[in-house]
Amino acid sequence: MLSLKDVWAHYGSVAAVKGISVEVAEAEIVTLIGSNGAGKTTTMRTICGLHKPTKGEILFEGKRINGLDPEKINALGIAMVPEGRHVFPQLTVMENLEMGAYLRKDAAGIRRDLEEMFTHFPILKERHKQLAGTMSGGQQQMVAMARALMSGPKVLLLDEPSLGLSPLMTQQIAKIIKKLNEIGRTIVLVEQNARLAFLLAKRAYVMEIGRISMSGLTVDLKDDPKVRETYLGV
Amino acid sequence: MDSATLLQTFANSIVAGSIYAVIAVGLAMAFGVMKMANFAHGEFFMVGAYTVYVCYGLMGWPFPVAVLMAIPVVALLGVATERFIFRPTRENVLAGFMATAGLALILQVLIGQIWGVGLMRSVPTPYMGALDLGGVRIGWQRVLVIPSAIAMLFALWYFLYHAKAGKALRACAQDPETARLQGININRMTMLAMAISGALAGLAGALMAPIHPVTPYMGHGIILTAFIVVVMGGMESIAGAILAAVLLGFIHTFVTTLSDAVTAQMVGVACMAVVLIVRPQGLLGRVKA
Repeated sequence: MLSLKDVWAHYGSVAAVKGISVEVAEAEIVTLIGSNGAGKTTTMRTICGLHKPTKGEILFEGKRINGLDPEKINALGIAMVPEGRHVFPQLTVMENLEMGAYLRKDAAGIRRDLEEMFTHFPILKERHKQLAGTMSGGQQQMVAMARALMSGPKVLLLDEPSLGLSPLMTQQIAKIIKKLNEIGRTIVLVEQNARLAFLLAKRAYVMEIGRISMSGLTVDLKDDPKVRETYLGV
Repeated sequence: MDSATLLQTFANSIVAGSIYAVIAVGLAMAFGVMKMANFAHGEFFMVGAYTVYVCYGLMGWPFPVAVLMAIPVVALLGVATERFIFRPTRENVLAGFMATAGLALILQVLIGQIWGVGLMRSVPTPYMGALDLGGVRIGWQRVLVIPSAIAMLFALWYFLYHAKAGKALRACAQDPETARLQGININRMTMLAMAISGALAGLAGALMAPIHPVTPYMGHGIILTAFIVVVMGGMESIAGAILAAVLLGFIHTFVTTLSDAVTAQMVGVACMAVVLIVRPQGLLGRVKA
């Protein structure tokens, strides 16, 4: 459904992503793990169009999307929950969700999806009039996820959803991610918390200084001695 | 100051505050979305006044029509400024500042070349007579400014908080990159912000044309005041700009009445300095997280 072929991305003359290839199939959760500075976030920013790749190809449903502007990529069906959540702080929760559906014209579909969001995230219904910037980190993560889902995306990109959240809140977010996948959502998950990522995803790519060093089924990778030592801390 | 003078000054303060608010809100709004200050904003105001001078003073159209003309004329000027100055210099704040300062000079000279630099263009007063409030008389021309400003600001508020495009504009001002991720086209939004900003400056200039000397340099004084208002209110805060505009309207008018206009300008700047010391983010500004 989504594939990256030998994608390179630079900041100035420094290469942050050095020729990675990633495949994402429909309705699966794929995770990208790696330590700080491995290039995971750059990869995500490159997929959603915020960063232009310098080389390589990104195909979405068979069409090249690299080089397109983020608003075009959103229109094609890729929605991103950025690292650090980035809710619109001075917009209410409801307005944040409306912005997620910005390009949609089907009022009935928007209403239906809004109801769906409120069943996934009941707190958002309760707090729909609150300014998003005044909510807790976990609640903001929910706003950001619901906002992305409001565009009715075919692929959801989640960049570090557990960052800065309490263990309890992390669990809650993990449950929702799992549920979203069970109802058929395709998800690309970037996480520093490899344990969590392995729990959720079927397949994983391990990134190290801009390259994919390993990939495969999470059930196999989690028994790999190097992965165990470096990322799972066992 | 006797009670009649006091009331008169009070009324004049509200008129001044209304005009400051309309001008400063436009400046704050453009700054909020683009993070760039438009130094030609005072000249937008001037072009609004000249639109009334040409349409009403020279061609003899009805005054309200001339005022309504100024809105799209200056909005278009705003759109052109976005397209040809702010957009190409988006990555280079200094170049943007320099270019709008240059635009200010170009507009001054251009208008001066066409309609002359001489003392002032006289725009006949369209509404004679005055509103009599128990001894206090305010010319209808000035009274008119107040409801016009309130209506325009109310329309803007309604747009920003109830229209989808208005909400998107606020989203862009708060986090442009994330706004793009929602499918919001930033170029269209900055253009919209500049159109609104221009419309507001144009309306203010148009309303002031009959009561303020119309010259190519009339934007000078007003831009200084507008910047003081925006800084005092808290750079991107529209409510802050309105509050600071009313405050400064009172400060300027009262000090001018009691002393003179130069002192008033000094007191205004001093007030801004005090606000910056006590509350660096401005009256209603927010501290960036």
